[in-house]
Parts: sequence; structure tokens; C-alpha cells
Amino acid sequence: MTRPSKQIISLNVNGDDYELAVRPNRTLLEVLREDLMLTGTKEGCEDGSCGTCTVLLDGAPVRSCMLLAVDVAGRHVVTIEGLASDNELHPVQKAFVEYGAIQCGYCSPGMILTAKALLDTNPNPTEEEIKLAISGNLCRCTGYNKIVSAIKIAGENIAGVSSHE
Amino acid sequence: MNNNDLKYVGKPVPRKDGPLKATGGAQYTVDISLPGMLVGKVLRSPYPHARILNIDTSQAKKLPGVKAVVTSADSLKVKHGFIDTPRYPADQYPIAVDMVRHAGEEIAGVAAIDEDTANEALSLIHVEYERLPAVFDPEEAMKLDAPEIHPNHPKVSDPYKNIGGKIETAFGDIEKAFTGSYLIREDKFYCQIRTHGYMEPQATVASWDHSSKLNVWTSSMGVFLKRARLARTLGLPFGSVRILKTYVGGAFGGKIDLYGHEYIASLLSMKCRLPVKIVYTREEVFKAARHGQPLIVEIKTGVKRDGTILGQQIRTINDSGAYRGSGVVAIFLAWGFAMAPYRIPSMQYEGYSVYTNNLVRAPQRGHGAPKMRFAAESQFDVIAEELGMDPIDFRLKNARNPGDMLPNGDSVKNFGLKECIAKVAEKTDFKAKYEAALKERHSGSTIKRGIGIGTTAYFSGSLVYPNSSTVIVRFNDDASVSVMTGALDIGQGCETVISQIVAEELGVPLNEIHVHAADTETTPVDIGSWISGLTYVTGNAAKKAASHAMKKLLNVAAQELGSEVQELIALDKTIFVGHSPDRKISYGQAIAASIAKNKGDCIIGEGHFRTMKDEVSPPSLSTAKGRWTENYSNYAQVAEVEVDTETGMVRILKATTAHDCGFPVNPVLVEGQIDGQVSMGQGHILSEELRVEDGCVINPSFLEYKMPCALDMVETDYIDVITETYDKEHHYNTKEVGEGYVSGTVASVANAIYNAIGIRVKKTPVHPQDIIDALEKHEHGGKGDLTR
Repeated sequence: MTRPSKQIISLNVNGDDYELAVRPNRTLLEVLREDLMLTGTKEGCEDGSCGTCTVLLDGAPVRSCMLLAVDVAGRHVVTIEGLASDNELHPVQKAFVEYGAIQCGYCSPGMILTAKALLDTNPNPTEEEIKLAISGNLCRCTGYNKIVSAIKIAGENIAGVSSHE
Repeated sequence: MNNNDLKYVGKPVPRKDGPLKATGGAQYTVDISLPGMLVGKVLRSPYPHARILNIDTSQAKKLPGVKAVVTSADSLKVKHGFIDTPRYPADQYPIAVDMVRHAGEEIAGVAAIDEDTANEALSLIHVEYERLPAVFDPEEAMKLDAPEIHPNHPKVSDPYKNIGGKIETAFGDIEKAFTGSYLIREDKFYCQIRTHGYMEPQATVASWDHSSKLNVWTSSMGVFLKRARLARTLGLPFGSVRILKTYVGGAFGGKIDLYGHEYIASLLSMKCRLPVKIVYTREEVFKAARHGQPLIVEIKTGVKRDGTILGQQIRTINDSGAYRGSGVVAIFLAWGFAMAPYRIPSMQYEGYSVYTNNLVRAPQRGHGAPKMRFAAESQFDVIAEELGMDPIDFRLKNARNPGDMLPNGDSVKNFGLKECIAKVAEKTDFKAKYEAALKERHSGSTIKRGIGIGTTAYFSGSLVYPNSSTVIVRFNDDASVSVMTGALDIGQGCETVISQIVAEELGVPLNEIHVHAADTETTPVDIGSWISGLTYVTGNAAKKAASHAMKKLLNVAAQELGSEVQELIALDKTIFVGHSPDRKISYGQAIAASIAKNKGDCIIGEGHFRTMKDEVSPPSLSTAKGRWTENYSNYAQVAEVEVDTETGMVRILKATTAHDCGFPVNPVLVEGQIDGQVSMGQGHILSEELRVEDGCVINPSFLEYKMPCALDMVETDYIDVITETYDKEHHYNTKEVGEGYVSGTVASVANAIYNAIGIRVKKTPVHPQDIIDALEKHEHGGKGDLTR
């Protein structure tokens, strides 16, 4: 078995610059989990159908299992480990914790990042807009009800904070 | 004690592991990485039934980067089984010996330095098979000329060689009941195979260390059962096998029993003395892991003119797959779900668990309840309609009262079913909506609305294994608290619930309670997160342990303060002498005093609890004799649906659940359990089906197996029916909340579809095309049942 040779890529992950040697057949998910040990990003299906591996690529939610690492060279990635700052949970994380939106927690990183991206572009989404935004993220535990409520509350909290600023 | 005086129990506190899970810090089995760790892969049978003539691993072993290859030749050839009793002895090798009986059965394992090498090694293992005739339909497998799947196995029902389990039980006089009946209905219902849909795939890391100890991290539902099964099949003393805690990305019944990959990872690690990690691909989960129980239910019910049920005769057939798995348990439990909720004076029940060449079955949330209640509740509505009664009155007439004795000797001492039915009917305005839908059926609109009800009673900790727990509560020097429990939190939040109980007993804030859980080496035995008993069994053990520690603390305080224990009041981690509040001692001072003056006693409390403490053995799986559980949960669920008669699409608009879980220790966790089960029930009745052809799964991905997504979300509402209290002086009774509700959704949606369009659903799932076909048949004067 011959293997393609590695390529050197640079990647900004959670604000830090990395120079990485990766084979061209490796996914962003594999590089995040195995090379950078950022295991908060989960794998659930390998075919883009479950959304657990969602990360933010230049601010937009993407499925890291469907992207080759070499194709995102030079770009900015945010994983769940990069969301809280100074030990303070992001409002979406906070709302997920406080309003029962987490059970087993396996889908939570992808779900939270998808919600964060939604609220970045649409701080006051309707329930239908929330459901549509997270419709590619499967959750087997919660039935989605408390996740949708938590995202709505997080949006209100973010709007509340910014209106006070 | 009034529940209103409680500070932690009964409060909707956020789960303790929430921040860790929300920040990506929770370590699941798939996240475990050890120095020198190898990638393990499993070679599986492509055939559903074959003799293995030869396995040649020589080429695979020579491949650079391969560190170990194992087959059954490396194993002790010890069988295991979810059930292992004299009647039902273990029937499955953890790695195939000479025969394969289902596609996907484990034949060999490899460990290599990376995934590519491991996969290449699998391709270099050459297996010669002799294919054998196979059978996939349980009713076919029950015929005398069907291929025999376990030729050398003791038979439970000669001459029917594939019947792997049989249960027969009866009470009352069924013949007399039917003779005296005004109306008798006979119907047959079918439920499909569904997968559990846990988001974390099956995963195991095994590491045989230099002290000859096997350390295992595995995505499971309880560490002690895994240890027992692994130790026995590997021939190791229990003390040489350590299962450690990891977070678990969902299980729903699918991660209880020993799985082949857990054994193979262990064997590989023991062989090459390096850690080995096996993670299933999602396709592998679909094609090779255990899924839920398909069930056929034939049900005959006789009633009086006024709707009183006189007798019921039930026959169930379970396709257990190639090995017994939990099939014999499913047919036992289905009996329980039939007899518990309603007064049925005479009943005859027989259940068959039949070997086929399909995948092995695991327990699945509800374990028989969704199917049995779907059948019984559907037939209730048919009967009620024929008698001219409405579904609520029919149920209220027959539901059990608190204090009724069940035929197996259980008392339903605190049964809230009638209250649940009445309250849910009232809150949803059931009767008016039901009548309105009947009138609307013949209107011109293509969108029809309907309302339906489903109910159940569910066990809360049953006597298997036996179902017991020990918990240790230890004060630390700073008066924070460490709790040692074998319970494993699989997402339901048991660590939070246990912490609430300990916090309540000790008066120590939740954030100062530290739970150390689920490690076979360092925590006491606990049955684990299955059989729906954790809040009841482990929770009571935690309560006893905490109260034991508190007693010791108060004794020390009494010594130090020169008072009687009865005079003491504990508040905010300080103990006061009641009548003179300036006489006080902090918890920390009391602990220090205990260590200094009581021979170093650092104050450790110990608590044990076992459900059904007076029962020696579990109920019989062949006769159903013997007590089952001491606390039955109840609920009544109402679904409101909309059916598009042009497209056949069914939408669930709302699910309202009235539930008697005793009392909710944590209401937000209870709601989460109900919501999750509504969603699972929705998948069961409307979309989910594992499609199998010749024993092979042909829809092995989430793209082809449709689980509900956020766009399918059902609006939910809850009504608490409280039948128990939390009493500080005694153990408390509370009831399950994690499994039973899924069946209410299935039954209520089926009944709501009938209310909307007059089509009786007799199989699940209901595809849009099924609705269209049934409506067409209906229009042409056919019976219009939606069946297989």
C-alpha cells in the first residue's frame, strides 16, 4: 500500500497558529482530534449526516468530517474548546447548561457551535429559524425541545447584554 | 416531612456535568488515548449462516505494522449470554467458533499501528466458508422444516428447534371469560426493528498493563456487568479486570451486554501488551451491533356490554436473531406490560422468542412496552368504538386502583393511572376534540386532525442480578463531600440526582458534593443504568450512606458541645444546639474533632439498598411467577396529529403527558426524559425501520434510517401526578421515568391517526404510502386496516 506524502499546512485553531504536516486524505476532523488532541469535536457518522463534528470555519458551521484538512489550509477554525473565554461560558453554552439542553452531551459541541453561528448572524431568531438551523444536528436524547428553548434564551441574553452596552 | 421544605431534592437544578459537556471537556471512550495505543479492527462474517472451514491469518500477521491478530483459536471458547440460567444457558461465543449465525458476526480481530494498516490486515485474512441455509422470518423459523440454527443446543420447545425461549402463564378462567363476553376482538400487530441511535458509536479501549491487569474503558450502561462478562470469557479473576468510567454518548439499551469488540480489544491487548482501541464506524453499528426487539402481538380481548374487560389472551413472537440476546426477557416483560395497567380478571399469555439468522437483539428503551401497549391500546379503542364508548371512559372503567394486587403478588400501592388519564383528558380537551375529528372525517378538507391516548404502567427497578447498590459518602477535611458510587451516568443525570440526595441529607451545597463514579476498582457495586431502577435503588443507597455519615457527624458534635444529638440542628454546614444558638460547631471542626478524638475516624457513611428486599429470586422467565417490582410508574399520553390525506404525511402536533413517577427528584431531568421518549416514539411510529434483506442491513446510515431531527420536533406538555413523598426519616419510593413513556407516544399516535382518518394502524412504522394505500382500499369498500 502506497500512501500519499504529507503536505505542510498552516491552520488557525481557536486563535492559535499551527503548522501541520498532514496527508491529503485526512479530514479536518481527524487532524483536530488526533493531531491537535481537540477531542471536544465528535465523530458520529462519517458521512455528514449527523452534525456532531460541526466546527466553525471562518465563522460558518461546517462538518469537519466532510472537509479535507489540506483544503482549509490558512483558514480560521473554532472548535468547542475555543468558545468559552477566560473561564466564562459563552451565552449559548450557559443556556444549554441551565435549561436542560444537554443529556448525554455527545451532540452538544456541534449543536452549540451551530447555534452560535446562527445567533452571530441572526440574534433574534424565530423558533422555526432555530429548528432549521440545527436540523442537520441529530440529538437522540432531548427531543430538541430544550435545545430550541436554550438557543432562544441565549439569543435574548446576548441581545440583552449588547443593548446595555 | 413536607416536600416543600426540601432544599435540593425536587428542585430543577442544572446537571452537574453540564459545563464539562458544553465545553468539550467530557472524555468519552472515543476520546481516550494512551501511549503506544494501537488501532483495532474486527473481521466480520459476510454471510448470515455458514460453517467456517478455515481461517488463514498468516499474511495479515506478516504485514508491517500489525502487532496482533486473534481468532477463536486464541480464545478460551467460553460462551456468554444476556441471560445465563439452567433453562437458558449462555449461547454465544464472543468470537465465532467454527460457525457464524448472522451477518456481521465477529470472526477475527487485528491490532495495528494505524487504521489503514489495520484495514489492510483485515483484507489479508482469508476465510473459507461453507454456506448453510438460513431463515429470517420468526414465523418461518418456527416451522418444523426450518433450518436449525443451534443444532447442539438444549431445546425449550421440542420439536420446534428454533424456539430459543418460551413463556406461558395464565390466571383466572379464560374460557369462561370469553363465553361470558358481550364482545370479543381478535387483532394482530407488528412492530419493526429499530436501532437505538446512540450518537457515540460502540467503542472500547483495552490495556493489559505490566501488573497483568486488564484496564478497559468502554461505552456502556454499567461497569460491573461488563467486568463480570469480560472476566468470565477471558478466564481472569474479577480483580484482574478493571472497567473505568468514561462519559457515554447515549445507549438506550444498546450498550448493556458484552459485545464481541470488547472481548476482541481485550484479547488483542493481552496478546501484544499494548493498549488497543476499537471504534465502530456508523455503518458497522448499523450492520453488526445489536438493535431493538421486533415483536408480533396477537391479542384477543373479551368485554361486557358496559365495557368491563373480562379476559385477554395474548401471544407474542419475538425474532431474537442468531443468539438469545435479551429476547426471552422481552417476551417476559411484554406480559408484564399487558397485565399491570388494567384490571383483567382472566388472562392467558404465551410468548415465543425465536432464533433466526438476523442480528442479535438488545434491550431497547421500553423493552417490549411500546409494542405491547401499541397493540393493547389500539384494540381498546376498537372495542370502545364498537361499544359506543369513548376511549377515556373505557380506560377509566378498567384502569387499576391504588392498592390493587396483581396476579404475581405485586401491590400497586400508589397507582396514579386513573388520575393521569383523567387529568390528561381534561387538559387536552380530549372528548370535544375526539368528537370534532369524527365529524370532520367526512368534510371536504384533505388535512384531517385527530386525537388519541396511550397509557402504561412500568416497573421501577426489578429483581434481576440482583438489583442492588452500595454507596459510600465521605467527608473531606474542609467539609466538602466525596461520593463513591458504581452508578454510571449515561446522560440521564444520575450523578446529579445522587448529589441532590446527598446534599439534602447533609445540608452541604451541591457544588461541594463530588461524585466519583463507575470504576470497578474504586467504587462499590451498582447494577448500572438499566432496568430503570437507578434513582430508586442507587438513590436510596446514597440517602442511607449520607444519613449514616450525618449521624456520625452529629454524634461528634454532641460530644464536643456537651449536648444530646436530639437537640442539634444542622444549618449551613454548622451544627447548633437548638435552644442556645451560640453553642455551635462547624462541620469542619466536627470532622477534625472526630479524627483527633475518635481514633482517626474521618467520617465515612455507607449505605446499601436492594429492591424487593424480601424476595430471594427474580420472577421466572418461563412461567412469569414471582414478584416483579415494588413501584409501578404510570402515565397517560395524548397525541394530537394532522394527516394529509393527499400525501399520506402524518405530523404530530402535540404530545401531552400526565405522569406518575412517584415524585420528580429533579423536574428538569424528568421533562428531558419525557421529551426524549416522545421523540423516540415518534421515530418508532412514523419513520424508523432497519431494513434487512437476507439478514443484511440495507440502510446502514442516518441518511437512509430516518431519526427525528429538529424540524420534526413535537411540542410537549407535562402534568405531574405526585403519589409519593421524599421522607427524611425513611427510604423513599420513587418510580421510573426513563423508559415507559416511549410506548404512550406510539399508542397515542396510532389512535389519533384512526380518529383523524378512520384507518386502524396495525404495524409500525406508518409510511406516507401506507396511509395512501389504506385510504384507497378504504374508499373501495375494503377494511382499510394499515397492516403488513
